[in-house]
Amino acid sequence: MEQYSVFGKPLPRIDAWEKVTGEARYLDDIFMPGMLYGKVLRSPHAHARIVRIDTQKAEALRGVRAVITHRDTPGVKFSFFPVFADKLPLCRDKVRYIGDEVAAVAAETAAIAEQALSLIEVEYDLLPAVTDLEEAMKPGAPLVHEDKEKNIAFEGHKSFGDIKKGFADSDYIFEDRYVTSKVAHCCMETHGCIASFDRLGKLTVMMPSQAPHTVRQEIARILDIPRSKVRIVVPAVGGGFGQRLVTDMKVPAAAILSRIARRPVKIVNTREDEFCTARTRYPYIVELKTGVRKDGRILARQARVLIDNGAYNDKGPATLNYAGECFAVLYNVPHVRYDGYGVYTNKQFGTAFRGFGNVQVTFATESQLDEIAEKLGMGPEEIRLKNANKPNELMSCGATVTSCGLVECIRETMKKSGWDEKRKMKTDLGNGWYRGIGMATMVHTGAGGRFYGYAATDTFTKISEDGCITVISPAPEIGQGGKMVVAQITAEVLGVDPSRITVINNDTDIIPYDLGAWGSRTSFVCGNAAKAAAESVKEEIFGAAAKMLQTTPGKLCARDEKIFIDEDPSKAVSFEEAAVYAVSNLGYPLSGKGRYTDPLAPQVGIDKKYGHHLPTFTFACHVVEVEVDSGTGEVKVVKVTAAQDTGRTINRHMAEGQIEGSILQGLGYAISEECVEDGGRMMNPTFADYKIQTAVDAPPYDVILIETDDPDGPFGAKGIGEPALVPLPAAVGNAVYHATGVRFKKLPLNQERVYFSLKKEKG
Amino acid sequence: MGKAVVLRVNGEEYELEVKPQETLLDVIRERLSLTGTKRGCETGDCGACTVIMNHKAVSSCLVLAVEADGAEIVTIEGLAKEGKLHPLQEAFVRHGAVQCGFCTPGMILSAKALLDENKNPTEEEIRRAISGNLCRCTGYTKIVEAIKACSGTL
Ligand code: FES
Ligand code: FES
Repeated sequence: MEQYSVFGKPLPRIDAWEKVTGEARYLDDIFMPGMLYGKVLRSPHAHARIVRIDTQKAEALRGVRAVITHRDTPGVKFSFFPVFADKLPLCRDKVRYIGDEVAAVAAETAAIAEQALSLIEVEYDLLPAVTDLEEAMKPGAPLVHEDKEKNIAFEGHKSFGDIKKGFADSDYIFEDRYVTSKVAHCCMETHGCIASFDRLGKLTVMMPSQAPHTVRQEIARILDIPRSKVRIVVPAVGGGFGQRLVTDMKVPAAAILSRIARRPVKIVNTREDEFCTARTRYPYIVELKTGVRKDGRILARQARVLIDNGAYNDKGPATLNYAGECFAVLYNVPHVRYDGYGVYTNKQFGTAFRGFGNVQVTFATESQLDEIAEKLGMGPEEIRLKNANKPNELMSCGATVTSCGLVECIRETMKKSGWDEKRKMKTDLGNGWYRGIGMATMVHTGAGGRFYGYAATDTFTKISEDGCITVISPAPEIGQGGKMVVAQITAEVLGVDPSRITVINNDTDIIPYDLGAWGSRTSFVCGNAAKAAAESVKEEIFGAAAKMLQTTPGKLCARDEKIFIDEDPSKAVSFEEAAVYAVSNLGYPLSGKGRYTDPLAPQVGIDKKYGHHLPTFTFACHVVEVEVDSGTGEVKVVKVTAAQDTGRTINRHMAEGQIEGSILQGLGYAISEECVEDGGRMMNPTFADYKIQTAVDAPPYDVILIETDDPDGPFGAKGIGEPALVPLPAAVGNAVYHATGVRFKKLPLNQERVYFSLKKEKG
Repeated sequence: MGKAVVLRVNGEEYELEVKPQETLLDVIRERLSLTGTKRGCETGDCGACTVIMNHKAVSSCLVLAVEADGAEIVTIEGLAKEGKLHPLQEAFVRHGAVQCGFCTPGMILSAKALLDENKNPTEEEIRRAISGNLCRCTGYTKIVEAIKACSGTL
């Protein structure tokens, strides 16, 4: 008999039915009685002083129920990290990017709200704008925030070992500069919210969110009201990818409008709003210096990282910090130095995005590693295997890698992709076409992080009198399968079919406190808590079953909807019978509570010494095959072979789906997507001009799940949502180099860039 | 100022007064409360609003309600019959083709329009038929597999 009856199987997701029938309600599908439509007036200028705002005409328009400006807000500056607070919900003296919130209206219809916006008069005094990251760092550059001395918003530094000695001991030193682009999350559902204040002053916000408790605190801070007065309810969510972590200012705007109008207020982004204001991935410049021994061992690595922060702080300090952690862990380099700077510019600002800074830095490190290998006469795979981490390795930075399948990932992708033969094949296909194959590896967290001094959550599970199971878990469902992870783990413990299970996960008044879906932490943290809760309620139902079977609970087993005596499976009761028996014959209901805590977390704050910020790591290696048309500059990705260390796979379909989706997002980032900006204005805010990958563009993927057993994960599982995107840009760049001999150090490798570079280098 | 139109949606007839600029998407979502049809861009670029109109998959954000007068329209709500999922819906569930689900209704309707016309499409034809339906979550593999699984069976 297989070890698990439910865990690991590619079972249908419990939330799929409502999604294929169109019954799932996303935010914009919800209409409340008396609901008003809100719109936000945004700055048309990248940098300007606000001289005057006059809302009288807008207020006088029939159907307008509320108009607000900064005067209606508490005027408290906000940022995700309170110490970096720099953004007012509605601008007071200055606007700092095209799209900055200036005023908002609520009206009976969206059309009236739109008309009201056009009646608000704002007089601006234009200021010189700084829209280039390096320009912004120069002395005398216009200040994005006039109360700061310079445009450096934050810094982060890490140093392990002795970097000078590392370079001195190296046989070769490589120095390169890499530039990554600004890309948008492009959740298919645009962002929105419905805010409503009740008469007792309690605010309920419905919004797509991947961290409802965090958003609750943020909104309370911005509105200057107690958290207990804020409730977040999350409807079905049409994608997250990091974009739905930190609140955006339309939420407090809707809340204030609702308080004034005493009606619910809905604000939903148009796609253009979304592209221009919903925040993006941070563009990085990475100056990378690496010292290696002749035999390929990396001895020293130093990075200077510049982040284009945009006009306000959001998750910038965290992406900077996190990228530095991965920089220090991918290979066990004895001497590491990492210096990062976030720089204000008068542009739309960034936020979290799948890969979280790591993908930008990995583009640099994994591109350069191929150049190093070539110089040393080694294969790309050889240098990676030489430096790869092994399980239970203690890193120079103080972190211990627990489970680690990197070596297997490299070997498997090589085998499955036919690496050895394909590396030797002729790359010139004639007629200006070239083909090549390249690889890149990565490390990422597989369990969130201990940064916030907290990595814990609870879960409550009950078995109803009819044998149905309800799990109250904070695992967010943003498409990644949070609900099913919880259901499948619960089902395994209780030996039932997941279809018996309902997961309630979307209301801060109900669910236990949690930090949300980021850092691929849901499976690990919420999964562990769900497992503990299921085990606790299993004790109760085993108590009932034991009475029915006249045995002791310790002798029982649960599987295939039955509870039976392990030594004699013919002595069995159905799960449902046991549940009914408990209520009717024993006279009590069945429930359990489970908790996951990470005892190290309270000791490892963000500012404390690095070492154990990440509870476990995930590793991956991707091999990408391309064909490049030098006549048009097109990079055609013909195949991706991806091996990822997934811990124990919870649900094979979902794991593959996460990886396949990540790969395609990563390919878009590598070859087609870019927010084109001019003077701080986004020039391509439509899907016609901002090209995400379609079904026709998508290459075949060969996804290999390398199952390691994580000692701390639920049934050995770890998080997998983000990592597969991380190696893509470097793998594509390495494949294009193999094909053409031309190295790209700037993203994306779009047609224009590839065409002109090939023309220049190859004539 | 309104114009009277008659729409047959999922086999039911609706007589409505529509404004000249009202799109079919607006009418379906806001007047008929059939919110399974999604709004992803309103510029015809994402396919989330796909419905079947007179046997063809169309982006309902690009169709004016007045143009749809007399048309036969199928939305995602019209697929499951008597509590039984349509085979395409079944296949999407079984093959793990659904993640956030926002693209799913449009995707399924594009697939249905294809299979209604061409019972045994090639993989290339399937991919072409859904190339106007953007999905940011799945990477499309499992969607294509789900549609393939229904080929020749409908
Ligand atoms: S909403 Fe119609 S194509 Fe996007
Ligand atoms: S499943 Fe999320 S957009 Fe397709």
